[in-house]
Amino acid sequence: MSRSAHKQRLVEFLETIRRPEVPLDTFDERDGLVSSGLIDSLALLQIIDFLEAEYGMDFSTTGVDPDQISSIAEILDLIERQTA
Amino acid sequence: MLLELRVGNLSEALSGRQWDQPAIAQQFLCRVGYYHQHGMGPGDRVFVHFGNTLELFADLLAIWHLGGCAVPIDTRLTPFEIEILAKAAAPRFALQLGAMDSSVHNLLDGVGATVLDSRAAGESVAAPPLPPSGLILDGDALILFTSGSTGSPKGVVHTHRSLRAQWMTLRHSLGLDAYRRTLCLLPTHFGHGLICNCLFPWLSGQDLVLAPAGSVTAISNLGRLIDEHRITFMSSVPPIWRLALKTALPARNGTLQRVFCGSAPLSAHLWRQIRAWSGTPDVCNAYGITETASWLAGTTVGTIEPEDGLIGVPWGGVITIMKDATTDRPLADGEQCRSGEAGFVWVNTPALMRGYLGRDDLTARVVCQGWFATGDIGLVDDRGWLYLRGRERDEINRGGTKIYPADVESVVERFDGVEDVCCFALDDPLYGQALGMAVVLVRRDDDTLRALHAWMRQHLATFQLPSRSYVLDTIPRTSRGKLNRDTVAAACAALVPQELGPRSSGAA
Repeated sequence: MSRSAHKQRLVEFLETIRRPEVPLDTFDERDGLVSSGLIDSLALLQIIDFLEAEYGMDFSTTGVDPDQISSIAEILDLIERQTA
Repeated sequence: MLLELRVGNLSEALSGRQWDQPAIAQQFLCRVGYYHQHGMGPGDRVFVHFGNTLELFADLLAIWHLGGCAVPIDTRLTPFEIEILAKAAAPRFALQLGAMDSSVHNLLDGVGATVLDSRAAGESVAAPPLPPSGLILDGDALILFTSGSTGSPKGVVHTHRSLRAQWMTLRHSLGLDAYRRTLCLLPTHFGHGLICNCLFPWLSGQDLVLAPAGSVTAISNLGRLIDEHRITFMSSVPPIWRLALKTALPARNGTLQRVFCGSAPLSAHLWRQIRAWSGTPDVCNAYGITETASWLAGTTVGTIEPEDGLIGVPWGGVITIMKDATTDRPLADGEQCRSGEAGFVWVNTPALMRGYLGRDDLTARVVCQGWFATGDIGLVDDRGWLYLRGRERDEINRGGTKIYPADVESVVERFDGVEDVCCFALDDPLYGQALGMAVVLVRRDDDTLRALHAWMRQHLATFQLPSRSYVLDTIPRTSRGKLNRDTVAAACAALVPQELGPRSSGAA
């Protein structure tokens, strides 16, 4: 699957968990998801759940560095590394 | 002197800053001198606009030595909300750490509060002798605002007597050994984080390690922090654990002896997961309420099997289950529930608040001859163990952060384009509950939606903004005109939520 296809899936997912007052359509790939206010910090858990469910990632033995999932670009990089 | 400096060492988990006991004593002396020079004295209320730092704890000691009353302020509140709290509490002083928002500074000026910088106080030259202590046992020590930040604030007032009673009963019930190195991940502007997670161990001479409240960096490095700081105890809330269990590798050194989880329902499943991750069976579902200085009951042995709703035994207080929650007559005249029968949870504890600030009417609704009506529904079984089954109070518990529908509704109602509004609880996979809002608008167009959104952003803290909003033609009410939030929630369940923000495009 291409990066743009991964991005489309990710953006669709983020639409379901973002704060209602922060729009996603003007969002840059490199904007911080938490620092921009799109999601609150504990909602990173939902991104982890998404990655586990959609891409079969298993963080139970490695843990997660929040920097790896801090922006759309970082998450896409992680997906590409894991699915390569 | 009522206040003794037998405190533990302080450190900040992420910044690495540390104050040992001599440094804390020095910081205390500097602050007492500085604040005294600026006129702080007995009875003064002092807003504290920061938390989870070393400075907070030296400031608390200094305020209390001078006879003042500390009022920790939630840093997420809007200037509009802070002004409402300031008008209710009339602080004489406000402490900042570094820069303060100019609009907040101006509004504090407007209510006659002198803004002082905590860091400047700590860097001032201590000039002995120490001013005499103005602390009295029945003087107000701490005010914690639990609701009403948008209209009629509810400030829980604790005296030195009630706080001291809490710490003594906890020490008697729980001992101190497990608390030698305590980690706080919770915000220090509310009872669970400040009174129990931090002050109980620290004022008993145990070391306290502070992390920024809810910091993802701290949570995702929880195992490493526990090892690095040799943490023996920590308390937290379910959402923090859900994230930690996913992101953080367990600690390796086996220092963690006891873990509390509170402020929101803890499922038996999550309870078992925390036990497995933490490596200690001593994981407790701690039950506490701000009015009772937080921790009130829990299990104290690791051998019990986790169950949904299981709390355990009271720590120093008495719990009884009654068939009603009225304070109109003595509790003894009411009807007590049988063992195993669910009813209203009442508690009697020496740590009970003095009352709600300036709201004797509210106090009278929940306190009766020393008994406190918690607003919780529960039962006590044959063993004397408390189980919680729900809440009677109009409150939405978003992972430990309480949101009061009336607070949000009072803001939305004041918006010109709104005819009617009702807030209600939504199920939320991360937080347990989230805030939903149904609103009836005068005109259902984009301009109205955007203006309403802007109004809410101006007056409500982010955590008080609804997760989902629905525009209705009318809000269902009972035949007597009363709101039933569950009915409104059910009416909205089949509808598509409405965007209120910048992208809003046409109401449904």
